[in-house]
Amino acid sequence: MARNEITKSSTAEYFAKNLQQVGFSSPTKAVLTTLKEAVDNSLDACEEADILPDLYVEIKKVGTGSSRNTDLVKVIVEDNGPGIEEKDLAKVYGEYLASSKFGRGKCSRGQQGIGISAATTWAQMTNAKGVLVTSKTKNMRKAVRAQVDVDIKSNIGALKNRETIDWNKPHGVRVEFVMDGRIQLNGDGGLVTYMEGTILLNPHVSVSYKLGDNEKVTVERVSTVVPQVPDSTLPHPHTFKLGEFITHATLFGKVTLRKFLRTGFSRISEDSINQFVKNGLPKNLLEKPITSISQEDFKKVFSAVQNTELMAPSTRSVLTVGEEALSKSIGRLGEVDFFSVVTRKPRICDFKPVVVEVALARFKNRNTEAESPVQLLRFANRVPLQFDKSGCAITWAIESVNWKSYGLQQPKNSLPLGPYVFAVSMVSPFIKFKNASKETIDASEELVAEIRLALIQAGQKLSRHIKKENKEADLERKLAHIEQFGPILVEKLATIVGASEARKKKAEEGLNKILGRDSKAAISELEEATQKLSAMRAKQRKIMGEDGSEGEEEDTSSVDEIPTQSTTKKAPPPQGTGKAAPPASLKKKKRSAETRAKK
Amino acid sequence: MAQHTGGLLKVRDLKINIPKEAKNLAERMLKDLENSKRPYLEAVKTTLDNSFYNPKVGYLTPGDKVVRTELNVSSVQKLARVVFILEILLRNLEIGAVNSKRELYYICKGLIKGDSRYKPLDFEDQNESDSIIDFVCDMLRVYREELNCFANDKGGQTYSQQLVVTETLPGGEKATVDLSTLGTAPFMPKNKPQALKLKAKKKIDFCLIVESESTANTLVTMGFTRRNNCILMGAGGVPSNAVRGWCRLIQEELAVPMYFFGDLDAYTMQNIFRTLKAGSASSLIRNADFSAPEVKFLGVLPDDVKRYDLPFYKVKESDPVEARALKKAKDALENDPFFLDKKNKGVADICRWLLKEKIRCEQQSYFSVDPKDPIKTEKIILEKIKRGSYI
Repeated sequence: MARNEITKSSTAEYFAKNLQQVGFSSPTKAVLTTLKEAVDNSLDACEEADILPDLYVEIKKVGTGSSRNTDLVKVIVEDNGPGIEEKDLAKVYGEYLASSKFGRGKCSRGQQGIGISAATTWAQMTNAKGVLVTSKTKNMRKAVRAQVDVDIKSNIGALKNRETIDWNKPHGVRVEFVMDGRIQLNGDGGLVTYMEGTILLNPHVSVSYKLGDNEKVTVERVSTVVPQVPDSTLPHPHTFKLGEFITHATLFGKVTLRKFLRTGFSRISEDSINQFVKNGLPKNLLEKPITSISQEDFKKVFSAVQNTELMAPSTRSVLTVGEEALSKSIGRLGEVDFFSVVTRKPRICDFKPVVVEVALARFKNRNTEAESPVQLLRFANRVPLQFDKSGCAITWAIESVNWKSYGLQQPKNSLPLGPYVFAVSMVSPFIKFKNASKETIDASEELVAEIRLALIQAGQKLSRHIKKENKEADLERKLAHIEQFGPILVEKLATIVGASEARKKKAEEGLNKILGRDSKAAISELEEATQKLSAMRAKQRKIMGEDGSEGEEEDTSSVDEIPTQSTTKKAPPPQGTGKAAPPASLKKKKRSAETRAKK
Repeated sequence: MAQHTGGLLKVRDLKINIPKEAKNLAERMLKDLENSKRPYLEAVKTTLDNSFYNPKVGYLTPGDKVVRTELNVSSVQKLARVVFILEILLRNLEIGAVNSKRELYYICKGLIKGDSRYKPLDFEDQNESDSIIDFVCDMLRVYREELNCFANDKGGQTYSQQLVVTETLPGGEKATVDLSTLGTAPFMPKNKPQALKLKAKKKIDFCLIVESESTANTLVTMGFTRRNNCILMGAGGVPSNAVRGWCRLIQEELAVPMYFFGDLDAYTMQNIFRTLKAGSASSLIRNADFSAPEVKFLGVLPDDVKRYDLPFYKVKESDPVEARALKKAKDALENDPFFLDKKNKGVADICRWLLKEKIRCEQQSYFSVDPKDPIKTEKIILEKIKRGSYI
């Protein structure tokens, strides 16, 4: 017991002293991390309870901060989730490592139960008040409202100023943090970037948000399917190191080695155990209780397991947003020129199931500077990653692709340039982060290769659009050239020669005939590019129409052009409205070219 | 060499009548258009791969390759610009007006400003109009001077106590310039056709062309031309057409030994000395009149660096200018017919040595040999000529 207490108090104390390790390293990051932890919790809770989330987010400056160069910032996050029972409030918001998700191998956003308690600690340390929580479950008639503080010495949460209030919501949670911080809206580490990333990857979320002095924004959901986070699978033995293997064994108590191997891991069958024996596992150990196996023997067991070929782990434990939902969700970030979406099938990288999704989009009014790098949105388990992008597996993968071949500019070993948004999402129950604040995905060769493949597929689809655009521009330029320079050429030749008006007219006709032939060639090149694009879209619609968002092909991908619409951030019309015939603008150009040629 | 024709002088005896030739060309293009055929323009390809070197001739001559520009939607802009500028040049010839390339650029600008239909032709900078003017020259195979387009005078300050130049002026009258009577002033050739005749009052032993004009001036001020029967000229870096034509004239009319004195580096060897001796690829059609194949390279020679213990510098490969010069020298050794010919093996060997050693040694480094003797450099030059220490 005494030992337990020591552990508990040291946890809270440790994090209180090391908040920078979990995302509270600067006033701006503190605000972002608080928002992130609160939203993660809301979304995870809604998903667990199969509720379509309606979120309200508000962040505003309410005064001057207690530390230098900071403001006093209020962060409010409200959801319509299942609510938290009163008895659990203090644990959830005031205790470290009190989590329902720790180490269970599911792709939930939160994992350890550190984040939200750290936010409470930050508020408490900078403003002497923890978090104000309002909660109502469906069994409660009135909501409970209380301030939760962290007792840093004992790592126990404490409720203060508890009261019951009327709340016109059947259930939900509202948290309010008031803390030292600074509001940064835009840029990689900005609050707007976080909200947009969250919106993109969560098509089932409706959210209203008011950030700083910005206008309030309301974004409606485009999917009514609550993502089902698949149940966890048992760990695969090949992902273990010796120490972990032995620790894992201690969780099983007094069972035989055979039972431990069969029930503690996935992909170990009786056949595999026979193989282990062939590969050096002493047979007599199999029926021995694991509590009595020496470290030396564990080493033998471990190396026999490692030296035996096993089936790759199951990929059932990962989930995807899906191409269809992602395609619809993109339109919520602004008016889209065109985009390309790829959802890979789940793969095994480094013996862990992983699935990668990529959305590449060009927006009409975002990131419009051609010379600046693309805006990169990185996601791990659907949570935006906003710092330290240079060390991230996703960034490495993007930089390793030759984007020039898809029509984008790209300086050597860098992100490509242009008015594009690149969103890359990786989902896995065991994502290896470089740090505790979960900002950077550790880059293994296999993982980078998998992300790269997804990017290449999306890039190929994108290039169809870019090629068509280039052909359009080419035609435009050629038509303009004929119109502008043709008459000057004829006029000047006629002047030098001293030719008659009749000769001049005839030469003009001849010139238009020659150049008309050229523009016809350009038109047919454009038509070919347009047809290729249409064919690709038709194929995609067929896949979507017949099989929903999961295609039967090896890798499915979706590209579509969203028709121009007003700037409201509503969902675009469903896919399938794409045009098979050449667009009206092309027809118009073709007509004008022909008229010019005839002149 | 130059001939007197009415108001202006001709550079050479040109076999074609430019206005007539241009008119024929326009006529052919117009006819093609009338027949819905694609008209085209052809110009000599002025690149190294179309350059030939015959050691007996001594300068780079053009091969058969041509740049053909056929009318299509992409080339219609260039063709319109060519015809536009051709008309201006023909008018200049007709009325006897002359212009520099920069002035022609502004004349184009003015015409374009005056008529909104010409707006698409507009030149963003002078490079664009210059390249069209060059194309017109290569197309008609004429010098720009023959189209009354003249460059500014640059380089060629010449000093001599023996040389007398007689110039026939456009009006037919003659002017005689005895260089020994000019005091401290030099004689300078012009970058436009001049009808000059050369005469030596007394036997001239040699002609020295110094890369740096300021070093040439130092030598003269310290009495080089008073002590030696010679012609001393400052080239002023890459020799202009005036300097090249002037050296050619000296070679043809006086037949004196000619020496070039310049830096020991890749740039000097291939951009300055090669151009003076054999012309360049970009001026293929004019090398015949603008190169002096008899010029020898007096120094700085690789041997001199050792013999006189001359200070030198390591070429910084991180410096883009120097790195490019080295790369160009490497290319020249592989592709330039001048360096490939065994007659110029000595010059090619110097380039190879420079590539290997990666050093450069400047002409002024001779002043380090005996810092207290102000005419040490002159003494070394004379000693080298006497010893035959040149390539």
